[in-house]
Amino acid sequence: MKKLFYPLAALILIAASAFTFFKGQDWTIGSNYSIKFSSSDPSGVFTGLKGAVSFDEKNLGGSKFDVTVDVASINTGNGMQNTHAKSAQWFDAEKYPVIKFTSSQISKSSEGYEAKGTLDLHGVQKEITIPFTFKDNTFSGSFQVNRNDFNLNPDNKKAGSDIKVEVSVPVTKS
Amino acid sequence: MFRKVFFHGIIAGILSAISCIIYQRIHIYETDLDFSKVINPTTMIAASMLACLLAAVGYWAFIKMFKSRGEIIFNFVFSILSFASLIYPVSFKLPLDVQSPELFPGLAVPMHFFPAIAWYTIRPLFKY
Repeated sequence: MKKLFYPLAALILIAASAFTFFKGQDWTIGSNYSIKFSSSDPSGVFTGLKGAVSFDEKNLGGSKFDVTVDVASINTGNGMQNTHAKSAQWFDAEKYPVIKFTSSQISKSSEGYEAKGTLDLHGVQKEITIPFTFKDNTFSGSFQVNRNDFNLNPDNKKAGSDIKVEVSVPVTKS
Repeated sequence: MFRKVFFHGIIAGILSAISCIIYQRIHIYETDLDFSKVINPTTMIAASMLACLLAAVGYWAFIKMFKSRGEIIFNFVFSILSFASLIYPVSFKLPLDVQSPELFPGLAVPMHFFPAIAWYTIRPLFKY
């Protein structure tokens, strides 16, 4: 039995290692990030970004984004527009206080990387892909969201349907 | 006559500018918010002087056109234009790094009435 102990222990370790989750490098979100949105009518920024960023260029399988944006932090530059954007007619900040993105897969692309995941906005969950780059400890990405997909005041025809979102998030190693 | 009206406009402009500066200080003290990126002493003095000098030209033109009824019509027009100009601060888009734009109209809206108030206040001092 003693003779079998070490080979058995080694076997268990090897078997267990096959299921080991190699987590990516954890990063802390810097304070000078920017989340800009623009369309044919409203444009502005969100300032309440929080969450966990785990990213390793050599271990994309273990990388993950799990971030939220505080809806109440919206700033269009106009006070009345801000209040209107937070109202039940648009984002309904009281009922849906955060916008959440959780990545399910991060892969390499021709121009950088792509994060596939679920965007939870206004109570609607939808799979989206966010192309991004990672240079000088800063994540930069740009993608489009159709507000009608998330029931954001679909009756309003004046505001543009496609909203371009530009994200720049400087990070430091945790 | 135009010289007196012009002088009326300049004095009203100075009073309006002083009122704007005092009101801005009170607003900053009360709200702890600084909108000086958009409204600062230079813009307040320039806007007050411009509004009151335009009023002076308007007053002179209305008196020329409508004689004794000119002042009544001018006062109505000046008040209506001051009121109509509120659309500007209410719809104004501040730079996105300025916090709490909700409180901006509370600063700018009253200021739009200062040139008219200053004009009417000192009107009895000028005999045309």
